[in-house]
Amino acid sequence: MVALVIVLALLFDFTNGFHDTANAMATPIATGALKPRTAVLLAAILNFVGAFLSTEVAKTISGGLINEGEAGLVFGPELIFAGLVGAILWNLFTWLLGLPSSSSHALFGGLIGAAIVGASLNAGSLDFAIINGGVFVTKILIPAALAPVTAGLVAFIATKIAFAITRKRERDGFKRGQIFTSSLVSLAHGTNDAQKTMGVITLALIAANMQDAGTGPTILVIAACALAIAAGTYSGGWRIIKTLGKGITDVEPAQGFAAEAATTATILASSTVGFALSTTQVASGSVIGTGLGRKGASVRWKTAGRIAAGWLITIPAAAIVSGLAALLVSAGFWGVVAVTVAAAAAILGIFLYSRRNRVDHRSFHRPEPGVFVAPKQRRAKKPKRPPKPLQVKSKQQPKKSSKKKKSKKRSKS
Amino acid sequence: MTINWGDFVTVIIASLVAACLLVTLFSLGLRLGDGEQPWRRPASVAMFVLCGLLVAIGIFLIVPALHSAVLG
Repeated sequence: MVALVIVLALLFDFTNGFHDTANAMATPIATGALKPRTAVLLAAILNFVGAFLSTEVAKTISGGLINEGEAGLVFGPELIFAGLVGAILWNLFTWLLGLPSSSSHALFGGLIGAAIVGASLNAGSLDFAIINGGVFVTKILIPAALAPVTAGLVAFIATKIAFAITRKRERDGFKRGQIFTSSLVSLAHGTNDAQKTMGVITLALIAANMQDAGTGPTILVIAACALAIAAGTYSGGWRIIKTLGKGITDVEPAQGFAAEAATTATILASSTVGFALSTTQVASGSVIGTGLGRKGASVRWKTAGRIAAGWLITIPAAAIVSGLAALLVSAGFWGVVAVTVAAAAAILGIFLYSRRNRVDHRSFHRPEPGVFVAPKQRRAKKPKRPPKPLQVKSKQQPKKSSKKKKSKKRSKS
Repeated sequence: MTINWGDFVTVIIASLVAACLLVTLFSLGLRLGDGEQPWRRPASVAMFVLCGLLVAIGIFLIVPALHSAVLG
């Protein structure tokens, strides 16, 4: 059981990494400040380093959200297992939809669901008192409402400043700045998010008497978590990067820099003061704010609305999945087997479904200026013969066949 | 249930000041780097150096080993 929890925790860490690549790297990729592969590699390295930098691990995974201990619920490996199943499945589902939703909220939602079912089974009737409502409101609900508003406001003003000071031809220089600001976001993410998984694994180990109570995570656990989050980051949640970088608004380098600066400043300010805002929500708010700040830029409110709806249902949805899992797990050994099989099937299903319309780093190919000018003139002269497929100069497209297909499509339209 | 509204206000103001400062400095750096006059170039470099300083403060705040001694 402990082994299963550890595997699932690492899997959650992986989904966390790949869900949150977008927070730091969506705007640099969208503006072309960094090539897509370079960007995810940089983010992966910084996340890996970040995981080692911070050793503060949350003593309780739930942070007081669930009434644990003598009077409340004993959070055994079974319930952690159920909570992780819900969190992972919800993370993958939102990734499939390309929605930037908070991984921490998914984890909290999962644990809440598992805790409610666990407590209800103990008491014999529905028991919601296990959840500390005050903590829920102050630590999750209000920050979730304020994070995008704060970041949006800051990004809005920062964008105004950037456009007021610089002239048009100077604005390409912001691309270099973007590299630094987005790196800061990645590093901050690594120091915060890998800790959660370390906390979960350490708790499971302590519960199984494989580690002394009151000790921190061993170097093996830290390394495993760092590796999992880095691998997840490197694999890149391209769907979410696409939504955040291109779906909400069209980002220019100056906007990208302003948005990244706003994201970094908001995250650092909040974590220093003592309540952590969700990186995802801050980053999304910044992108919306910067879209409002540039004259002539439009914000696609439909996409923004979908994202907000995703945030609203993250906690209940993850809670329901985890609740069901916890119900099954309580049936004993075969329940655990059933949940494992069902979760594996769901993950496989989501993965297979995602292959039907792939979104990967090639989706962010930026044509060199001038490359696609030639075919238009040719078509005007000889309308019947399709022009020769263009040789697109790009390192990002290793396959020849895909190159031809793409350029044909372009020249026809 | 106590909500610490003061903290929220602090966060909003702090992030607003920090982000705007960074963007202003970087923009000025770009703007000053564009002209012909001889005084512009060192001024622009100075702006970028100040930006680097802000980023260093950011790293200081991210890494607990660095700031734990000061902030507790």
